[in-house]
Amino acid sequence: MNAIEIRNLTKNFGQKQALNGLNMTVPKGAIYGFIGENGSGKSTTEKLICGLLVPSGGTIKLFGKDYKDADVRSKIGVLIEAPGCFPNYSVWNNMMLQAANLDIENAEEEVRKVLKVVRMEGSASNKFKNCSLGMKQRIGIAFALLGNPDLLVLDEPINGLDADGMRIMRDVLVDITKNYNCTVVISSHILGELEKIATHYGIVRGGKMIKEMTAAQLEADCPTFIALRAKDIEKAKSLLERKYPRVTYENEYIRVYGEVSPEEIVSYLYGCGVVVTEIKTDKISLEEYYIDLMKEGR
Amino acid sequence: MQSFLKKLKSMLKVDFKRMFTMPLVYIMAGVSFAMPILILVMTTMMGSAEEGETAMQGFTNVWQSIGSVSGSEMSMDLTSMCNINMLYFLVAVFVCIFVAEDFRSGYAKNLFTVRSKKWDYVISKSLAGFTGAAIMLIAYFIGAMIGGAIAGLPFTTEGFGAGGVVACMFSKIFMTAIFVSIALLLGTVAKQKLWMSILGSFASGMLLFTMIPMIAPLNANAINVIMCLAGGALFAVGLGAVSNLILNKTSLV
Repeated sequence: MNAIEIRNLTKNFGQKQALNGLNMTVPKGAIYGFIGENGSGKSTTEKLICGLLVPSGGTIKLFGKDYKDADVRSKIGVLIEAPGCFPNYSVWNNMMLQAANLDIENAEEEVRKVLKVVRMEGSASNKFKNCSLGMKQRIGIAFALLGNPDLLVLDEPINGLDADGMRIMRDVLVDITKNYNCTVVISSHILGELEKIATHYGIVRGGKMIKEMTAAQLEADCPTFIALRAKDIEKAKSLLERKYPRVTYENEYIRVYGEVSPEEIVSYLYGCGVVVTEIKTDKISLEEYYIDLMKEGR
Repeated sequence: MQSFLKKLKSMLKVDFKRMFTMPLVYIMAGVSFAMPILILVMTTMMGSAEEGETAMQGFTNVWQSIGSVSGSEMSMDLTSMCNINMLYFLVAVFVCIFVAEDFRSGYAKNLFTVRSKKWDYVISKSLAGFTGAAIMLIAYFIGAMIGGAIAGLPFTTEGFGAGGVVACMFSKIFMTAIFVSIALLLGTVAKQKLWMSILGSFASGMLLFTMIPMIAPLNANAINVIMCLAGGALFAVGLGAVSNLILNKTSLV
């Protein structure tokens, strides 16, 4: 059974069409990286899944049931934009309120547990308004984790964080995926981070899903290549272009695609009088794949 | 049904906890308490200073700050305008802030993600709002007693009796349910836009404001109390249903 099944979803805001027949399938247990440019419809889709917006058309099914079903909805954890906390309340009191909303037994124990997961156990007495952005995002995730949700919807939880905040958040997300048996939909512009945890991807553009794939399919779609630098880069590129069918120059590296070994390239260039200074095997990243996909559509 | 009651109970617990841990209810109760003291003391002082010259009729009895005897038409004098009925506007402000705060903080987003049924929210907010309103009216009543004593106004209940005062207070408390449900409805329409819900509540409250002296006079009896209770319940259920519909049919963020 799929955790999320969306068919022909449309959403209009007045004259503006935010979603235009979007289809989305998230298998149960997946960590679904939801990717798209700003304004492509990611947040709108997530808000619709959570019942915060009313769809203009189409269907949304969560675990095989309509998205409005009370039982299904009680098992969703969500962090969309900022976490919904009262600024003058402490982190602990905000958490306890949400625990009461969810009617959680052993609320104190549960709140302690999720605060530990998000590395916030030492900051429970802080007022929410005094927390940093990184802490607020982690509190938002703690909110979402309350009540052991079956589905977690996280809207750009990494964005806006500094390097340290991003590292902590990544560790938190890895912990969640390991320890909580739930389906996660996570949208982010930081694709490098997403690539480390996602098992499935959905790429959205102009309110439509343009590609859905598993991490294995992405791996297969992202070819490996030899990246190299040489003393005379222009000459090296020209020689390689003559010998190999696909050679590009990106980020100060010559890339040679296809069935070729670094040794073969080094010896070929050496024979032509070009010294290779650096050579490595690499593969197209999710970010590059995504950029290429976006370019194709333009 | 059992699940609904369980959810309502948890919602009520949260709303009451929130209400009594936020300064708003205490500020409102404080204002309600201080208002009659200031009005009674100041108008009495002004009245004695300008005796024979003031065009406005001042307070001659403490109970005038609670209501007027039925049959007397609502006039634009001081006793008709500056009495407990002013609190209905303060009640509207209180409920509007209480609801808008849910949407502004993002709490509503958390809440409605996990709760697809909106009735428990509407009922819980109505009951919390009604409780807050009752506290404000009682605070005003106590303030009026103290203010009357300070100002040296008589406490005579000639023409309506102590029972009439009690029935009048109960009628007025039950009537707050009408204003609470109006403010709640406008709060759910306006969501984060607090100014819009307050303005809307004031405008609609003005229409009902003139009816209060007739429905809940100082010489009220059991019929007045029942009428106000029934009216309050009717408005709460009717407008509550509309609020529920609005929450179900509109965007919540």
